[in-house]
Amino acid sequence: MTGNVLIEELGPRGRRRVRVGTGLATVAAVLVLFWMYGRLDGNGQLEAVRWTDLFDSATLRFLGEGLIATIRAAVTAGVVATVVGFAFALMRLSKSRPVRTLAVGWVELFRALPLLLMIFGVFFIDTSIARGRGGDALLGTFWSVVVALVLYNSAVLSEIFRAGVRSLDSGQSEAAKAVGMTYWQMMFVVVLPQAVRRMVPAIVAQMATLTKDVSLGFVIGYEEFVRRGAGTPNFGDPEVTNFQAYVSIGIVYFILVWAMAGLAKRLEQRQSRALKVAAADRDPDQDLDLGAGDTLGAGPA
Amino acid sequence: MSWSEFFDEYQDPLREATWVTVKLAFSSFGLALLVGVIVVSFRVSPIPPLVRVAGWFVAAFRNTPLLVVLFVALFGLGDLGLVFDFYPTAVVALGLYTGAYMAEVLRSGINAVPRGQAEAGRSIGLGFAQLMRFVVIPQAVRTVIGPIGNLFVANFKNTAVASTISVFELTAQSQRMFNDASAGVWRVLAVISALYLLFLLPAGAVFRRLEARFAIKR
Repeated sequence: MTGNVLIEELGPRGRRRVRVGTGLATVAAVLVLFWMYGRLDGNGQLEAVRWTDLFDSATLRFLGEGLIATIRAAVTAGVVATVVGFAFALMRLSKSRPVRTLAVGWVELFRALPLLLMIFGVFFIDTSIARGRGGDALLGTFWSVVVALVLYNSAVLSEIFRAGVRSLDSGQSEAAKAVGMTYWQMMFVVVLPQAVRRMVPAIVAQMATLTKDVSLGFVIGYEEFVRRGAGTPNFGDPEVTNFQAYVSIGIVYFILVWAMAGLAKRLEQRQSRALKVAAADRDPDQDLDLGAGDTLGAGPA
Repeated sequence: MSWSEFFDEYQDPLREATWVTVKLAFSSFGLALLVGVIVVSFRVSPIPPLVRVAGWFVAAFRNTPLLVVLFVALFGLGDLGLVFDFYPTAVVALGLYTGAYMAEVLRSGINAVPRGQAEAGRSIGLGFAQLMRFVVIPQAVRTVIGPIGNLFVANFKNTAVASTISVFELTAQSQRMFNDASAGVWRVLAVISALYLLFLLPAGAVFRRLEARFAIKR
């Protein structure tokens, strides 16, 4: 039984074709893998010592510190961006027009700029202010990365929160008003607790994307995981080349982000069982990565 | 440095860098469309190894930072004996990265077509090609215009990461200007941001209009 709209139950001829296709595809895949193996082996990239040297205790510590730096920046930026994004979502839902305009401007501006440019911007503004005062940089690399991540992700998260509020049935806020609640009572007692709970999977998915983006701290010299990977060939044992370093970094990153995306999906599934939210109610932007049967993964940027 | 001195000095490099960004954005997005179509055709095919390979491909690119993808491409392709210059490497890496997301978007579009539509098409005697041409693709395309627009914008922004492998586009140009103290950091940030927004705000608006125009009204 195939799983999509395009293919009906196959007859004997179709099944035979599928068998032939399976055979051909397997042969092609084996040939490609064999070719890659031959090339890499010919270049000496698969020699055991190049890989085992990665597990040197000094190298492992060097890389491990980078991984911890990545997680530290991701957690800090994630927490701050959630708080700031929440504040902007509240501003955007406000009744006051200037407040709304300010929030819309912030969100649209920071969603539209490349994160890498923001990291450079924050870092160079910080160092230029420090140069002007003749003192040390105020933020340094860690906080420059965190501030840039917060600028970008608070904009994205505020859209997620807003989508959560909009997805609530209007009967909820009407009922709150009917029992005489003020605007803030309605928001904090009735609307937001439900909206936030509903958006938890999307927030976790955004955190996976954010974790990928910490790697961009590389450009301003923040000693995160990828930068430590780039330093590995010159660190300790020179048997390790860029190829081994980046492939290993990629594998560890994959496991980390994949686990976060998996958590997001689990939460999503549990929620849709519990709430039976119609998918059409929600903002399709936010839902793209969480649909049933999707590959586990984070967002593009 | 006054504004006119600033523009005298940086006008030409800025124009060139903008051109590189635009070229990179469009060529990698074109490649991403191609990759997306090929990968999704594997994913929805009835042949198990193709489905599995396509699934791995998408998972690998979605869970790895673009920076790592670029670096592995830079060093790995060389080790495979495929030596590219920096710019083509960036096109390939970005194209594959965005292509993985494209495959997911296209698949969600195909899955959004109700099964009954295809069954109805078959029952009136349409073959596979006709079914695709007249029933599935017209409906799938409508639902994916918005998500493809989002991917275009994301891919355009991601071209900035190519600056890490010596592609001299806008963000690399910003770095050079940031290091020129007389250019003024706020001015550099404002000018480079304005150049990005010049493309990204209209792109967002165009895709929103297309989406509204072609939306399926149910």
